[in-house]
Amino acid sequence: MSRPHLLLPFAMLLPSLALVIWIMGYPVTDLMRMSVHAVNRFGQAGNFVGALNFSKLFADPLFWASFRRTVIWTVCVTSGTILISIPVALVLSQDFAGRSVARLIVLLPWAVSATMTGIVWRWTLNGQFGMLNALLLQFGLTDQPIEFLATGEVAFPVAILIGILAAVPLTVIIFLGAFSSLPGDVFDAARIDGAGPLNTFRYMTLPLIRPFVNIAIVLNVIYAFNSFAIIWILTQGGPANSTDILVTYLYKVAFQYGKMAEASAMSLMMFAFLLVFCILYARFAMRERAL
Amino acid sequence: MSYARKSFLFWLLLSPLLIVILLPYAVMLSTALKPATEVFTFPPRWLPETIDLSNFTIIWTKIDFGRALLNSLYVSVGATILTLLLAIPAAYAMARYTLPARGALRLFLLLTQMISPVVLIIGIFRMMSAQGLINDHRSLILAYSGFSVAFAVWMLQSYFETIPREIEEAAHIDGASWFASLRHIFLPLAMPAIGVTAIFTFIAAWTDFILAFTLLRTPDKLTATMKLFYLVSGTYHVDWNEVMAATLVTTVPIAAIFILLQKQIVGGLALGAVK
Repeated sequence: MSRPHLLLPFAMLLPSLALVIWIMGYPVTDLMRMSVHAVNRFGQAGNFVGALNFSKLFADPLFWASFRRTVIWTVCVTSGTILISIPVALVLSQDFAGRSVARLIVLLPWAVSATMTGIVWRWTLNGQFGMLNALLLQFGLTDQPIEFLATGEVAFPVAILIGILAAVPLTVIIFLGAFSSLPGDVFDAARIDGAGPLNTFRYMTLPLIRPFVNIAIVLNVIYAFNSFAIIWILTQGGPANSTDILVTYLYKVAFQYGKMAEASAMSLMMFAFLLVFCILYARFAMRERAL
Repeated sequence: MSYARKSFLFWLLLSPLLIVILLPYAVMLSTALKPATEVFTFPPRWLPETIDLSNFTIIWTKIDFGRALLNSLYVSVGATILTLLLAIPAAYAMARYTLPARGALRLFLLLTQMISPVVLIIGIFRMMSAQGLINDHRSLILAYSGFSVAFAVWMLQSYFETIPREIEEAAHIDGASWFASLRHIFLPLAMPAIGVTAIFTFIAAWTDFILAFTLLRTPDKLTATMKLFYLVSGTYHVDWNEVMAATLVTTVPIAAIFILLQKQIVGGLALGAVK
């Protein structure tokens, strides 16, 4: 194609690309610059300090505690979500009375934000007047109201459960797509040959939906790693940093403790980690598209 | 197994999850209909003794929630329009022209649509404050569009590719100009995809937390999400009946959109996540 012909499509592409590059490129460059300089409380960069900000961060026990919690959080939310979503999607892909209503209820939380979910749960879990305690008392499951969000030991697992709940809809959608793509005739043949439902699932369904499982894992890792709102609304990472994950701790280091340089170093490392998973996602998604 | 028994069994299997999903909505409704005196009683009760609709009027006067909803609407509609204005031509160019470096371009779009603002939030805050856009709704519109446009281009181009070129070419042969065939032939056919993309962009903006939390400062600028967050987080005493009424008002329109357009939205989500 001749050059003048390419001018038009590039002019059409340019504004979108420019906005994306500006909104992501500027912050990344700025973070890189700050991470190797001394930065004062007002955000002005001073002397070049090399890796000092990174080594300060590595000496911070709260950073490592948040790091450990992020691993637990991401692994639990991702695996919990997938373990719930596969059977739910399997059921929702069968034909039964009221299926469309069941689907709607399962998928609805996707549209209602994590913020709203967090706010309502914060009230539902309220130690004194919350409805969950009312239910537990009513059914005699506890004789005293439980303070769900008052200590990290209880609050963090509770936050994980809510994180799973928020991630289920999108994951179910992925697996609904997976199950609808299965070749029906092969399954009919297997049934005629006498394969039981468990064997069929183990040796046929699972291998066939494997690419979708990969995509679901990578997507959920990305979402869980980034989920700021749920923890921030439930506990703000407290009490005493006991429920902080990296994203909430990052926010505190930058905007509450005012350590912009260390926060930038932390932010860059998190960005790099995220980029690895985004590349994985792109590879899986591209492969799926090629099929 | 009969159809009825199978249906019953499946509903039974799903019921634990359905109950956990619906519990917060029940709590929301129950609390929003109670007068303040009934909210803070121990033990709490599910059904209000007197149904009190005054919570729904109080939120307009006492906490100025109408303004917060208008702010949310303004930034979400603004971001949706800007995103579509940028993404439609870009997607058209990708679907209709043989571009060099097309593979690299697609990889770039696929990668950047997954980057979330959370890990870049310090840089974004500094960038917006360097532009003098802190506490300015324009900063939110720009940021929402920046983080949505890659997904929008991706989704639109995969749909545009399914619209046959021949239709436009036929219009050319009949003497229509390039622009006329675009406007009268192509765009009407592309409307469903544009609609779904618009809904995605709108919901992403409407439900955002971190950007509004970081970039807005004063009460008069807050979005509905932020207004609610500050109501439950800042003060010691929280008027939960009012908060739940406001949460309900914020949630119902989005839930209604979702229920009405479930099929298209789910189709789009599957497309975005998998392809």
